[in-house]
Amino acid sequence: MSEFLGYERDDGSVGIRNHTVIVSTAPYANDTVKRAADIVEDAIPITHPLGRCQTKPDVFQTYRTLLGYATHPNTYGAVVVAHAGEIVDGDELAEDIAETGRPSDSVNIHREKGVMNALKRTVNSAQEIAQDASAQRRVPSDMSNLTFGINCATSDTTSGLCQHKATAGAVWRLIDDYGGRGCFAETPEFFGGENELAERAVNDEVKEEILERVGHWDERLQATGYDVRGAQPTPDNMDGGLTTIEEKSLGALVKSGDGPIQDIIDYGAKIPRDSGMYIMDTPGHGAESVTGIGAGGAHFMVISTGQGHTLSNAVMPTIKITGNPGSAERVPEETDVDVSEALVGDESFEWATDQLWDEIEEVVNGKVTLSEALGESQFAIHRIGPST
Amino acid sequence: MPDRYLQVVEPTDNVATALRELEAGETVSVGVGDEERTVEIAEDVVFGHKIAIEDIASGETITKYGKSIGNATEDIPAGTWVHVHNVESNYGRGDLADDDQAKVISE
Repeated sequence: MSEFLGYERDDGSVGIRNHTVIVSTAPYANDTVKRAADIVEDAIPITHPLGRCQTKPDVFQTYRTLLGYATHPNTYGAVVVAHAGEIVDGDELAEDIAETGRPSDSVNIHREKGVMNALKRTVNSAQEIAQDASAQRRVPSDMSNLTFGINCATSDTTSGLCQHKATAGAVWRLIDDYGGRGCFAETPEFFGGENELAERAVNDEVKEEILERVGHWDERLQATGYDVRGAQPTPDNMDGGLTTIEEKSLGALVKSGDGPIQDIIDYGAKIPRDSGMYIMDTPGHGAESVTGIGAGGAHFMVISTGQGHTLSNAVMPTIKITGNPGSAERVPEETDVDVSEALVGDESFEWATDQLWDEIEEVVNGKVTLSEALGESQFAIHRIGPST
Repeated sequence: MPDRYLQVVEPTDNVATALRELEAGETVSVGVGDEERTVEIAEDVVFGHKIAIEDIASGETITKYGKSIGNATEDIPAGTWVHVHNVESNYGRGDLADDDQAKVISE
């Protein structure tokens, strides 16, 4: 299959979903956003605790992340809800969304004289966008349009030995055979394997950038005055047999395969359109990392898990794969693909890759993942510095 | 035949991952590259955890994937469970950083 059925956008991207999103620009608009999304069928609320009293680098990161969701390939259109005059400006955000050809509207609670009027306007706008979205049909599109997001979650010692190999096999199949893109992340989880990773960079500039960013995370952690062992590996990682951050990292890097790295990009930045493998500089915190990769425009995310995890994203479908036979049994609602037979049975890793690839083909053509069917999703924007 | 449920990633590794439960006192055969090594299990080990496949002295490097995953904090004889109680990481160690730096941050 070299084509999938997707939704074409005016900006040249192609989506695998056709969402209407309602975006909050500050905590004080979150309730209005959630209430409107409850009323409008299939509308996705984007809420968070940020958007004000932030320093410049943090504001840029928050704005970029919100814009990334509102203009994601899987997004048809968006309504922005602001509280008053905020550092993340609602009108500006709505204008930037409109520039990609997507329908957008800007609602401001103060301008509307309160939450009730703002809610009514938000519902009416989102309703109109959702109805227009429902009239759009899927059309054949080249697989090269797809971007494959990769993250691990609740890793254990099976992760690096099994499921990450299947994930690596599938992402490089998309890149090498179809001309698509891949993006992995979680920079602090390069500790211990950073030199080998940097050697995969396409040039010296990217190589230096990778090492510099890994070093920066090490410095940030040391500057807290505390031992990273208090935070990494996490208790669930340790239950699953992981002993140190280095061991977790060396296993985690298996999911990226061994092919060339094109670039390392900022948190929430758009993943480049050229074919190849990219890194996004994110923390190892799954909810923050996945939120960043979603903002970058990955169409779907493969979450490679050892012990099982609810981690998922509303705009970018998440496919969960495990190679731990106990986890597949323990948390079936969080196991889209079970490849444990490649670890403790007689199947090969090629078989495991095929299992995952088959599921990806289904999902990009419209099959909902387990977390989509359950309405599970988390959203957490990484922040750089303190509030003011 | 080496036990397929004891996995060594690289021949230079000094630990193996248990892909079944191990019982204290059992003797297992571990495949290390082309070689086979016999190890007596010192204590019960659960699925997914590691054992030493050679004697490792306190302070020595624990090697998995052919790379360091930390240092032993005590002597770890072959067949012993290897986990957070006898291994320490070398990354993000703010506790080892300059005292003044830690003090400034904590103030």
